[in-house]
Order: sequence, then structure tokens, then C-alpha cells
Amino acid sequence: MRRFLARLLSLLNVGAAERELAREIESHITLIEDDFLRRGYSPADAKLAARRAYGGVEQAKELHREARSFQAVEHFLKDLRYGARNLLRTPGFTGIAIITLALGIGANTAVFTVVNAVLMRPLSYQDPDRLVTLLHNGTGPVAVANYIDWRDQSRSFETMAAAEYWTANLTGGDQPEHVAGLQMTQNLLPMLGVNPLHGRLFIKGEDLKGADHSVILSHRLWQRSFSGDPAILGKPISLNGEPYTVVGIMPPDFRFAPFWATRAEFWVPLAFGDRVLARGGNSLRVFARLKPDVTLQQARAEITSITERLERQYPGTNRRVVVTPLKENVVGKVETPLLVLLCAVGFVLLIACANVAHMLLARTSDRQREIAVRTALGASRARVISQLLTENLLLSAIGGCAGFLLALWGTKALVALSPAKLPRLENIAIDAHAILFLSAITVFTAIVFGLAPAMHAAALNLSGALKEGGRSGTDGARRNRLRGFLVASEFALAFMLLIGAGLMIRSFSALHSVDPGFKSNNLLSMVVSVAGSNEAEPARREVFYRQLVEQVRALPGVQSASGINHLPLAGDLWEWNFVVEGRSKPRPGEFPSAAYRIAMPGYFETMGIPLLRGRTINDSDHASAPGVVVINESAAQEYWPGEDPVGKRITFEANNDQPIWLTVIGIAANAKQYDWRSKIYPEVYLSALQNRGFLTSMRGPYLTLVVRTAGNPADMAPAIRRTVWSFNRNLPVSDVLTMDRVIADATAQPRFEMLLLAVFAGVALILAAVGIYGVVSYSIARRRHEIGIRLSLGASRGNVLQMLLRQGLKQALIGAAAGVLGALLLSRLMTNMLYAVEPTDPLTFIAVALVLAVSAILATWLPARRAVRIEPMLALRNE
Amino acid sequence: MPSEDPGRITVLQGTLDLIVLRTLQSMGPQHAYAIATRLQQVSEDLLHLNQGTLYPALVRLEQQGRIKGAWGKTEHNRDAKFYSITEAGAKALTEETLRWRRMAGLVDKLLSEGA
Repeated sequence: MRRFLARLLSLLNVGAAERELAREIESHITLIEDDFLRRGYSPADAKLAARRAYGGVEQAKELHREARSFQAVEHFLKDLRYGARNLLRTPGFTGIAIITLALGIGANTAVFTVVNAVLMRPLSYQDPDRLVTLLHNGTGPVAVANYIDWRDQSRSFETMAAAEYWTANLTGGDQPEHVAGLQMTQNLLPMLGVNPLHGRLFIKGEDLKGADHSVILSHRLWQRSFSGDPAILGKPISLNGEPYTVVGIMPPDFRFAPFWATRAEFWVPLAFGDRVLARGGNSLRVFARLKPDVTLQQARAEITSITERLERQYPGTNRRVVVTPLKENVVGKVETPLLVLLCAVGFVLLIACANVAHMLLARTSDRQREIAVRTALGASRARVISQLLTENLLLSAIGGCAGFLLALWGTKALVALSPAKLPRLENIAIDAHAILFLSAITVFTAIVFGLAPAMHAAALNLSGALKEGGRSGTDGARRNRLRGFLVASEFALAFMLLIGAGLMIRSFSALHSVDPGFKSNNLLSMVVSVAGSNEAEPARREVFYRQLVEQVRALPGVQSASGINHLPLAGDLWEWNFVVEGRSKPRPGEFPSAAYRIAMPGYFETMGIPLLRGRTINDSDHASAPGVVVINESAAQEYWPGEDPVGKRITFEANNDQPIWLTVIGIAANAKQYDWRSKIYPEVYLSALQNRGFLTSMRGPYLTLVVRTAGNPADMAPAIRRTVWSFNRNLPVSDVLTMDRVIADATAQPRFEMLLLAVFAGVALILAAVGIYGVVSYSIARRRHEIGIRLSLGASRGNVLQMLLRQGLKQALIGAAAGVLGALLLSRLMTNMLYAVEPTDPLTFIAVALVLAVSAILATWLPARRAVRIEPMLALRNE
Repeated sequence: MPSEDPGRITVLQGTLDLIVLRTLQSMGPQHAYAIATRLQQVSEDLLHLNQGTLYPALVRLEQQGRIKGAWGKTEHNRDAKFYSITEAGAKALTEETLRWRRMAGLVDKLLSEGA
């Protein structure tokens, strides 16, 4: 080690070492001279004798240098200069190789950056691997009393905390705003191990009724509504008309919660109040931190035994409670697609390597003479290989630099393209990890594409290569095998990529042709929240909603308008249990249940949801009229199979002795609910004018307006907003969205995946086609002589063309066969990403095989046709 | 060429280091010329080397921290770089000598028995 350092130092300090050496040699010779003088030599003779005794001064210096320094490094620098000269001499080759490598390296770095940010480091909390969630079936919310029992009875957790989604009208800032936030138990933020930027976190007792009116702001909300003014600390702001004191401001990169309610921009304490005994109404998300010595399995076992006990005590309340690592909740959905993308982009790099490899192979054939001369002059084989590898390293380093620029741009493009739901999107940037990765694949690339050609070059037959005109008629079998292997593997990789992309395209077109159940064109929606305003008063709310819808309808350019509690695909989804009149009361946990929407008159007409039977909700379905409900087709099939549900009655108040009965008045077609891909669950629509909860509750005091317009829907937004504000200037209007946009967002992730895979597959196809074209035309060029002989001996052009095609296509065929096997194995990984398409979809496989076959034939045929057109005599004379 | 003289020994790779260390230990700080002269004397001219070939060994040993070089004056008031053995060098010498003896004994044994 010490010697290593010394050598390194001397490398940096060559001049000093050289001077020292010269001085020492001089003194040495002087000493010898003195001896000779003392023995009686004449000064001139002594000088000569001393020189002779010493030996060659330059040789001594060289020996000294060799021992002193890294010869390897000096060789390397020499090779580098030599390599650079070589690359500059063939700018065409160098340019293409660099572009190919830059594409491969850049795309890989960009995808790696995203994968690294999203999958490897998704949570910016302290010790995030110890954080877990406790939810029904791993995702479903939890009732307050259950959370309290789990918290008090379990011993596996350091802390257990809970949060609940809450939206509020924020007034007192720069403008009224409907913002999403969370209510959380006081211990939640300390459990995450985060610190506020300003102020403090919630303190003990702050989540008790009466003490709970404090708020912590996100950095974004603080910047947006309070211009980042730190003086807001300690001052009250108004949420839903009530004063909340700002106690803290979080740093810019803080997000909570990471997998649900991701838009939360403020946090307030959660006071359970009289809900501590509630086991119905699941609304909490429960988070916990495992004790250091407790494993996930132990915690799971404990929670299972606690919930089984509670389930016996309170049937139907504690089913299937699953402890899941928080990280899994966050990245679970995107893990497979991202890994598939990483795999795909890795294939692109391998194809790029294969391409550069046979370009190099062709080049080394042309450089045989040069290498032979160097070998003949005494360069060892290792020296020749290391020279070639250095040249390759230089090539891939330049490719890597260009790739870095490409990755800078590519990462931005990826983030811009990616679905907004991708977790931790804001963290994605090229960092030290990405640069390390880039350097690693750059070196890896140089070795992969460069080693085989370099070994080949060094194994050249010396005398053969040096002979005048010593170019052999055809290449050696080994070299041909290597070329064939490269082409075949390119085709195999390209095949697998194209299958991936093909499956995604098929799946996406299947997704896209799905009928959302409503007519999304010319449809605009926006949320109007009355929380905290006079319009929220139960007496005024109904009037306001009706008048608002009426006035919007009267706007020029509006064809129809209505309202709903939660918009399909964009809004929340509530579910409720009900019982059907005349049927026996079901056991707990076995109630029929349905998604639950509350619609204003005219909703179905405005949305364009077809009515299958009966009638829709209209103005006559008001508070004093009999209760009505419209159900969707799925509910009719599920709960009234073989019966006509119209006229039947249901109630949501199973435990009430005198329940409010709702008569089914119509069946509407299925409309998309929460997720574009999932099947449609039973759904019921209640009349907003009859729903006291909707008109009086403080927990969801907002209406989603839906407006069908004559022209571009987005153009109508300002007029509608003005109409809202003509009632009250303090009513926030948010989530202004066209339904086309809502659908685009709902299919954003599959579109993103499809787009990327298609781009990678396209690049792969081009690279593979260029590869085979290059190989075939090169080998044909080298066989001109042979072709000339064949032609002059009487072979027809057709015969020769056939021969060349057969040889070229054989490799493509072998590659495609390997590709089919690989694709069959790998496409199974994509099962979860596909919609209505099997991973072994025959149509995709056939189409891909055809595309590849056509490109292989073209890439072979073009150079082959040129070759057989030559005059045989010309080709022969040319040699 | 002197190296073709059959009676002379070409220095085995690595043994030169050992010999230099031993010389410095028994004679104290020496300059390269003195070391070379001493080697020739002790070996009774059996061991011949160009004096310049000493340098790689000196550099190697110095980089390994086994010897240390410093400029000084000879008895005739000439500038010269004097090398002295360090503690690490003394330790290495003991170990290497032991190893060499074992090795030489082994080779000797093999040669006499194998005959």
C-alpha cells in the first residue's frame, strides 16, 4: 500500500524524481572516478573507466523509472493518445458508435434515476423500513374504536398513530381555496422522525377536543397562500370558518401521506371526541413503527390474534387486518412496471453494445496489418489487447458523457410524461447514485462491446496478415461465428422488447376502447365548496345548490348542468350497506353494499349516462316526496338476478325500526367508478334534494358541478366561476377539469408504460436492423471476390442472392427463436400491467415476428442485391 | 560480454533486495557505489552487476520504507546519497533471511536427494 502511494506520488512529481536521480548517478560516477584517480589513472582514463564500470546511464535511468512509477499508467496514457488519434481518423465510425452508446447509456441512466428515486428510496422519513400500515385487506380504512383497541393491546410497536382525510376551505390567505389535508393523532409526525422547518410539531394533548385547533402547513401551501411569510407562525388562519393557529411549517420535501391523500397540504390534530366507541364508519388509516427487536412476522401474528379476539367480540368489524410495510403501500403498484422498464432499457443497451461490437470487429479486420506490424515489432498480446481496450474505453467514455447529457434531458422528459400518481415524483433528479451507475455501465459497456473484438484482433495470424495482399478471401470461421452470435442476440433482444411493447399497445388500445359509461366530450366539472360560509347553513345549502345549477344552465354556451357529490374516476368513492325490503336481515358482514353517489336532478342527462329502464332523478324528487334511488346495471344483476328491480324498495338504515325506504325508480348503464381498470361494482344514486346528510353535514359540504357545453368546455370555466362568486365571493372553486382530461389521467399510467416501451422497442428495432445491415453488407463486401468467381463459373444472380439471403436470415431466425423463448418467460412478469390481453397473446407474437422478419429481409436483401449486380470480371480484377 | 562468463552468478530476482539490506545492516549507512563495491568484494567477484542496476532495488526498498536515503558528504568531501536501513527494514531482513534459508535448504535437499 505504502509502495503504491509512493509510486502515485512519484507519478505526480516526475520532474523532481528525475533531477534527484540524475544527481545521484552523477555523484556515483564521481565516486568511482575518484577511486580510479587514487589508483593512479589519468583524469581522462579515470572518467572513461568510471563510465564503463557504471554501465549504461540511460539504462539505469530507465530501470529506475520503471521501478519508481506505474508503467501501466504511462502505457495507458500513451494508449489513450494513440486511441484518440485513431478515433479521429475515422469520424464516421466514431460518430455512429458514440451516438449508439449515448442512446443506450443515456436511456439507462434516465430510467435508473427514476427507479432509484421511486423504488429504492421512496420515503424520506427516519428509518422508513420500520414503518408499517395496519389496514383492512392491506388497503381499507379502519374504525376509530378498533384503532384504539389495537393501539392499547399490542406490544409490537413503538408507536401507533392514525390519520383521516380532510378537506377544508382556507380563507384569510391570499385567496379562498379548497385544500386537501389530514387530521392526525398527535404522535404521528414524531413517529416519522421528521422536523419542522419553522415552529413545532403537535404536542401531547393537542389532539383532544377543545385543544385541537392548531395547524401545520406544508411548504407549498405556505408559499402559495402566505407568500412564505414566517410571521404567520402563531397566528390563526380560517379553515371551514373556524380559527386554527399555525404552529409549524414543514420543509419543502416533506410529504404525508405517501400512498393515499398524497395531495395533503396541511395537517391538523385529530380529536376523536365521541367517536372513540365507533366500530362502523371506517375512515382512519393506521400507521405504526415496529419496535427495534420485533419482526414484521411477529407483529403480524400479534395483530392477527388481537383482531381475531375483537372479531369474536364485535362480529364483522375486525376482518383481515393486514400489517404491511409502508414502503410496499407506496411502491407496490409501480414496482413491476418500473422493473420491466429497467429491463427493457437494459436490453436496448445490450443491443447497442452488440452493434458497436460488430462495428469494431469490422474495423479490427481492416486494422489487421497495423496490429500485425505492432506485434512484429515486439508488442506483447496483452499490450495489443490493452491498447484496443483503452481505445474502447475512450469511446464509451465519450458515449457516457453524451449519455449523461441525454439522461439530464431524458429524466426531465420522463418526469414530465409520467403519471402524476407516481410516488415521490418531486425527488427525481440525477444524483450521485445515478452518476455512479452511469460510470459503472460505461465501463461495463466498454468491456462488453470491446473485449471479444480485441481478443480476436490480438489472435491474428501474424504472417498471413503481413503478406502482401494478405487479405484472405473469406473471414475465419471463428470470426463469422462471433458475428452470427451478435446478430442473433440482437434479434433475440429486439424480439423480447417488441413483444413487451406490442403487449402494452394491445392492452392500452383495449383500455382505451373501454366505454366509460358516459360521454366525456364537452363535459366540464369543478368542485364548489361551501364549508365555513353562510351557504353551508342547512337552510341555505339546498337553495344555493339548486339556484347555482339553474344559473349555470342559463349561461350561454351551456347545454345542461347538474351536480354530484363525487365525480366518477376523479372523486372519492363511498360505500354503504343496505337491505332490500322483504328479504331477511343479513348477518353482520354479509350486507349487500354499493358505491354511493348523491346526484342533483339532471345528472344522468348531463353526463350522458344511458338509462336502461324506468326514469332518472328529477326536480320532483325533493325532500317531501317519497325517497327514490337509481341503481346501476351491476347492482341490478348482483342483487335482483332474474327480477325487475324497478319498484322494489331498499333502505340504508337496517338498524332503524322505522327506516326511510327508497324506491328503485330506474336502472342506469354502468359508469366507471374509481379505477379505470377495475370491474364495475354495484352502485346507487340518491337524490341530493332528499339527502339530509348531503345538505346538512359538515363533513362533506361541497358539490361537484358537471356542465355539458356547446363548445370547448375549458372556455366556460371563467363564466361558471363568476356565477359561483355572484352568490358569495368567498366560495372556493377547485378541481376544474374536463372529463376528457379525467379519463386521460385515469389511463395515464398504462399510457406512460406503453409509450416508453414502444420508444425503447423502436430504438431496439432500428439498432438491430442497422446491425444486421452492417454485418451483411460488410461480409458481402469481403466476399466480392468469391461472388465474382461464382458468377463467372455460371451461378445465376438469383442463386447467389438466395445464398446470401439464406446465410443472413439464418442468424436472424436463430435469434428470433431465442427471442420467442425469452419473451414467453419474461412477458409473464407483465401480467399485472396488462388489461384484457394474455402475456402470450398470439396476435402480438405473430405481428412482432412479421415485423422482425420484414426488417431482417430488407436489411439483408439491400446489400445482397447490390453485391450480385457487380460485373464478375470487375470483382475479380479488383482484388 | 561479462555476463557470458560461466563462473559468474546472475542475481536472482528479489535476492538483490535481501543482499542490499544485509549490507546496510552490517556496514551502516552507505552510498550506492559503496554498496556495489562491497557486494563485489564479498562475493569475490563472483557476483557481477552493472552498478546502475542497483538503482531499482534501492528505489523499491525506499518505497517500501525499508531503507532511507539522505544526502551527505563522503570522507573525501563528495556529495553522495547515503542509504540506511530502517526498523522496518531490519525486521523484513530477519524474516526474509529466515525464509531464504528455509528455501535454500529445501532446494539443496531436493537437489541432493533427487540425484
